[in-house]
Amino acid sequence: MIQVQTFLLVLLALIVNQCLAGDVPRPRGVSLAMAPLYQPRGGDNSWTCLDGSRTIKFTHINDDYCDCADGSDEPGTSACAKGQFYCINKGHQPMIIPSSRVQDGICDCCDGSDELDARGCPNTCSVLGAAAAAQRRQDAELHKRGTEKRKEMIAQGNKLKLEREARRADLEKRILEQEQLKSEKEQLKLNAEALESEAIDTFKEQQRELDAETAHAEEEPQQMRQEASLSFVRYDANKDGFVEVTELMVDMNLDRDRNGVVTVEEAKYFLDERDRVDLDAFVTLTWPRIKPLKMLAEGLFQPPQAPEEDEHIEATTEGVAIPTTEEQREPQPSEEHADHEPAIDSDEADEEGDEDQYDDEEPDVGVGEAQPDAENASPPVYDPETQRLIEQANEARNAFEEVDRTIREIKQEVKEIDEQSGKDYGLHEEWAVLDGECHAFEDREYIYTLCPFDRASQKPRNGGAETTLGRWDQWIGEGNNKYSTQRYANGAGCWNGPQRSAIIHITCALESRVTAVSEPNRCEYYFEFETPAACDNEAFQQAQDENLHDEL
Amino acid sequence: MHLTLGIILAIIGSLMLTSVTGVDPNNFKTCEQSSFCRRSRKIQSSGSKYAIIPGTLNTYADSLTADLINKENHHQFTFKLEALVGSTFRLQIDEKQPLHPRYRVEHALKEEPKTARISVQKETDGEITISTDDHKNKAVIHGDPFRIDFYENDVLVVTANAKNWLYFEHLRQKPADAADGHADGEAGAGNAAADDDQQQAEAPKSPGEAIDDPGAWEENFKSHHDSKPNGPEAVALDFSFPEAEVLFGIPEHADNFVLRSTSGTDPYRLYNLDVFEYIVESKMALYGSVPVLYGHGPRRTAGVYWQNVAETWVDIYTAETNVVSSLVNFVSGSRKSPSPAAHFISESGIVDAFIVLGPKPIDVFKQYAALTGTHPLPQLFSLGYHQSRWNYNDERDVASVSSKFDEYDIPMDTMWLDIEYTDGKRYFTWDKFKFPEPLTMVKNLTELGRHLVVIIDPHVKRDTGYFFHNDCTERGYYVKTRDGNDYEGWCWPGSSSYPDFFNPVVRDYYAGQYALSKFNTVSENTMIWNDMNEPSVFNGPEVTAPKDLVHYGNWEHRDVHNLYGHMHLMGTFDGLEKRDPNQRPFILTRAHFAGSQRYAAIWTGDNTAEWSHLQHSIKMCLTEAVAGFSFCGADVGGFFGNPDSELLERWYQTATFLPFFRGHAHIDTKRREPWLFPERTRLVIRDALLKRYSYLPLWYTSFYELELKNEPVIRPLLTHYPADKECFAIDNQLLVQDRLLVRPVMQQGVSKVDVYFPAIDDKKNGDYWYDVDTYQRQERAGYESVPVTEYKIPVWQRGGSILPKKERQRRASTLMLHDPYTLIVCLDRQGKAEGTLYLDDEKSYDYRQGQYIYVNYEFAHNQLTNRFIGKPKYKSSSWIERVVIAGLSTVPQSATITVNGVSQQLEVLQQDHAVIVRKPGIKMNVDFAIKLNY
Repeated sequence: MIQVQTFLLVLLALIVNQCLAGDVPRPRGVSLAMAPLYQPRGGDNSWTCLDGSRTIKFTHINDDYCDCADGSDEPGTSACAKGQFYCINKGHQPMIIPSSRVQDGICDCCDGSDELDARGCPNTCSVLGAAAAAQRRQDAELHKRGTEKRKEMIAQGNKLKLEREARRADLEKRILEQEQLKSEKEQLKLNAEALESEAIDTFKEQQRELDAETAHAEEEPQQMRQEASLSFVRYDANKDGFVEVTELMVDMNLDRDRNGVVTVEEAKYFLDERDRVDLDAFVTLTWPRIKPLKMLAEGLFQPPQAPEEDEHIEATTEGVAIPTTEEQREPQPSEEHADHEPAIDSDEADEEGDEDQYDDEEPDVGVGEAQPDAENASPPVYDPETQRLIEQANEARNAFEEVDRTIREIKQEVKEIDEQSGKDYGLHEEWAVLDGECHAFEDREYIYTLCPFDRASQKPRNGGAETTLGRWDQWIGEGNNKYSTQRYANGAGCWNGPQRSAIIHITCALESRVTAVSEPNRCEYYFEFETPAACDNEAFQQAQDENLHDEL
Repeated sequence: MHLTLGIILAIIGSLMLTSVTGVDPNNFKTCEQSSFCRRSRKIQSSGSKYAIIPGTLNTYADSLTADLINKENHHQFTFKLEALVGSTFRLQIDEKQPLHPRYRVEHALKEEPKTARISVQKETDGEITISTDDHKNKAVIHGDPFRIDFYENDVLVVTANAKNWLYFEHLRQKPADAADGHADGEAGAGNAAADDDQQQAEAPKSPGEAIDDPGAWEENFKSHHDSKPNGPEAVALDFSFPEAEVLFGIPEHADNFVLRSTSGTDPYRLYNLDVFEYIVESKMALYGSVPVLYGHGPRRTAGVYWQNVAETWVDIYTAETNVVSSLVNFVSGSRKSPSPAAHFISESGIVDAFIVLGPKPIDVFKQYAALTGTHPLPQLFSLGYHQSRWNYNDERDVASVSSKFDEYDIPMDTMWLDIEYTDGKRYFTWDKFKFPEPLTMVKNLTELGRHLVVIIDPHVKRDTGYFFHNDCTERGYYVKTRDGNDYEGWCWPGSSSYPDFFNPVVRDYYAGQYALSKFNTVSENTMIWNDMNEPSVFNGPEVTAPKDLVHYGNWEHRDVHNLYGHMHLMGTFDGLEKRDPNQRPFILTRAHFAGSQRYAAIWTGDNTAEWSHLQHSIKMCLTEAVAGFSFCGADVGGFFGNPDSELLERWYQTATFLPFFRGHAHIDTKRREPWLFPERTRLVIRDALLKRYSYLPLWYTSFYELELKNEPVIRPLLTHYPADKECFAIDNQLLVQDRLLVRPVMQQGVSKVDVYFPAIDDKKNGDYWYDVDTYQRQERAGYESVPVTEYKIPVWQRGGSILPKKERQRRASTLMLHDPYTLIVCLDRQGKAEGTLYLDDEKSYDYRQGQYIYVNYEFAHNQLTNRFIGKPKYKSSSWIERVVIAGLSTVPQSATITVNGVSQQLEVLQQDHAVIVRKPGIKMNVDFAIKLNY
């Protein structure tokens, strides 16, 4: 019960106050640079905290009690919350650790100086130092060789840039030429059409008995086509002339099973199970499937509820035509139905007729009057003279169309070039050659693809559709390291979550490749990408020098 | 932890995370939709008629028995009243000759309670008075109508059956025509009237046998059918608390500390359920059920522990202090409003009630803890900070999070792995791709003084390639359906079955799975999280198991539901103790019942990142603490949703002063480790965590004293200020023991908070309270508006107390073992203070062999002295580095420390409003005196 002798300020003895590891005597945990600050004031043997807040006895330095607010009196113990301990780590790099790691039973310094001898921390500095030196040499070599490669990339990038500029100038010139040609062709077309129009009017005079209802219906395909073209432009978000699965997936009207997401399967249905469609296919295959849903969404179209049989058949076989007719029909008296009925029999023929018609003609721009009547399958038979004028007009139209299309194509190319020129390929165009490449990385479940400056995506290994993780957004590296990190944003939406995005962390290597992919946050992906473009020997050497300087 | 109704939600749609709307109450039963509840509640309008059968009374040395009769149907019951040591009576009522035995709860009590001797004081025709030998406690049993009055020192504190709401459905044969009868419709109440008429017309009228509720013999809820082979078997009883002004207890509900009246609402429900996105201010059932309820008034506190593990509803009657009732009282001349009362209603089992008589709040808490036990002293690390998330994805992720805490110099003790670490939700296995080398991962954490906790849920994947499933199938270890087949439900792994932990053989088998020879991919330092053990069954009625499943001993799930999680914990605790007999297990559980605190810590389940949920973390844990569960906390930041910086900061600060401290989040939330927020947030969080770690010696001492003295670690104000009515309902403040007063900031955008400093007498005198950051003294009782910055956690230390701290920062608490202590001495009006410190090896059971130091420090007459409680046998290398004294009127010149006649001078420094005695340097097991010199 009566324990006596352990009354101690003996703890002092445990603390090695003066450290002899360096040549200059200084308190434990103090760097060489700071050593001069740890001198007793002559006379009263006192010492002032480095922040000047207090003056204490010199013997209170490293006495395992915190006297200074800044922790400067206890560089070698864990007593001060804000204290710092300096490991000399001879043979390796010196290191500063927080006081909280001094004497906590864990060897933090490679020379073991943060723990008292009792803990028995081995000195691993020379081993670590040698390994670090080897690593540094290896890194230096890598950066040196990588920088050579980077130079090639810079050269290529600059070449590409020049080519783009040249090409652009060339295209501008061609546009001017084509515009001129276009106005000529337009004049020819107008002339031919005037003749055609006149002839047809005459012919139509003679065909007065034609049913107004039928005539009215004639307009439908054109109307449809116009709508479809407009929609095509809207869907084609990346303006590449194709509507793709991902472009449809953003339209919630297409969520046919109403589960809150447009799946790839759902989107593909509208693309006739293809990955993408061009305008033609869109008009004939996609739009007929989409339109009813659009109308449904806009409340224009009520799906047939216990419909009359004829309507039902239309709904299933004809698809598109229905809503239009239905819409038009609704206000009309009921006997109209009876009148219209016979037309159903010719539905199939109608469709074929439509297709032929599209095949024969350039579909982009239709001029209503000139089109043969489509509604009743068999085009009207014109007299030979009228027929000739129509054919001439068609030719003129085709010629005009061709020029017009050429211009649009050129403009599209210019636009693409401009877009590319707008991308930040680095200070020396060193990243440019990566645009257009794609790098894949496989893990257990997915194949990830990074197409720099374009997109990042993933695809299940066991098949299934590709999911866009993000489209090129910008460089987001911090400070001087702007070109170390990229972001790809606005990927496919996550169920119940945000749109997917990806961060690309880039390091120097001799070959370009993706080395790791993870998903640290739900729907936020992280790619490790290495490429010679990130190698910069100069910067590397500079950083090395700074490090070495710190050590001294 | 988890989203449970995932499948259903997938259909409902995409609203959930963007705007957290909360649980759909329609997925859970109301009292009206529950046949036994509405039957039992009906009695509240008619009353019942039970009486003691004259001549059947027998008295024994410690108890009294008699037969009871229901005067309406003449069914007979036996009743037993037993006196227990510690001002407690136990009241049991069962059928005299039941058709078959009725379930009696096992394993909830920590041991068979010790009885106390009684003697008959008075016996007249209609009543008998017994008292305990010390004459402190007295019970008066009234024969007709049957009623028991319980007195503490001659003051009536509890009456059982005061309102004649005793209701006991005896077991009966199923009426022939009810066999294929219609089940109660889903709508319940709506159809009830019509069904009643129909059934009454059909049912044979054997007197007292008929129960005219359509749900009596089978019942439907949503698409689920309950076959109810035993028919009606409910038990219910009311308890009045004449001395009480407030009632509290019966966790777990996301509600205020003080229970609200249930008139016009559903009763509070106790039925362990996995509630997806629970809502606050609700009487709905949650994950745990602890049927202990206290009545508290300025003079007396008493309580009732209703020991029943079937579904239970509790109606609360509190005095309505509205104008009408006051007028009625005035006119009728009655000066007193009716006593607060509680009506316990359980679906099956027997009446088994423990009445604890106080007289003070701390007494009833201790009396209840004496019955069901306390959390044993935990390992110190488990009081540190836990970092969890559903899920840390792989070994690299775990290593990187751990190292980030070091990079930002933020202390952290434990990393947690949620279900995704497993191989396809097969517990005791690992996903070999994400976690190829779990032992190395564990070792890397251990080397930094850190721990790993992994989740093990009770559901078992039905997969013939899974050893656990095969063992359970072959050996018949699963809970069975009524037809004797293994029950199959749906949970994380998909199709799952549930081990029947009520079977001791199954528990043994389960415990054996934790052996390092079996679960050899973890170390003996890896601790366990038992979740989903209500049990959660995604496709079951109310997301749990059907009531007509069959358990060991042929008991229906109905009879034992609320104990399933408890039995699961018993297996786990046993397994961990066997795995390493000299290491204290740490287990976290979601489901719990009275007594589960002996095995596990709890958290408040799947809360939400909202200010209201932050506020409820304190309310809920205070209620749990007085119901035995001191080791309680809430998911910091909120499980669902994304907290903004301010909410996260305040949440960390609040959790700093709750016993269990874990950050956790749903898989769909954004990452929220402190360094992912702006620097200020990171620093505020770091500051809070450092404060937590500095108080670990106080937390540890408090937990030792919980085990030693049955006193809760955190307490509502009324515990120590029982006469101050103003503080009864305060549940945004808490006490840590009687040493700290904590009032965290739990509102958005405030620059000050109102703090209530409680009064010790009716003259509004209060204790001194010292701000723990500045030692500024609060001398007046009453409300005070206190300014706060973003860093401020408003906490005061009581004048008159001494508490231990460790003010050196470390990466993890385990690395602080040898660090020196700081004593904080806060003086009362007389210039005195005292307080305890407990220390040991922080890990093993050696303390039970006396390997500890337990010391009381006392400050009086300008001198600090110590007194060891028991021998200070533990060899500690710690020492006292400083003594902070607040409340001195003048600053002393110096101090003198004397040990064994040898004296030495110490420096005294002034800091803020306190003085510091510099570096006494004294070892922990040495007697000393420190005298201040003027």
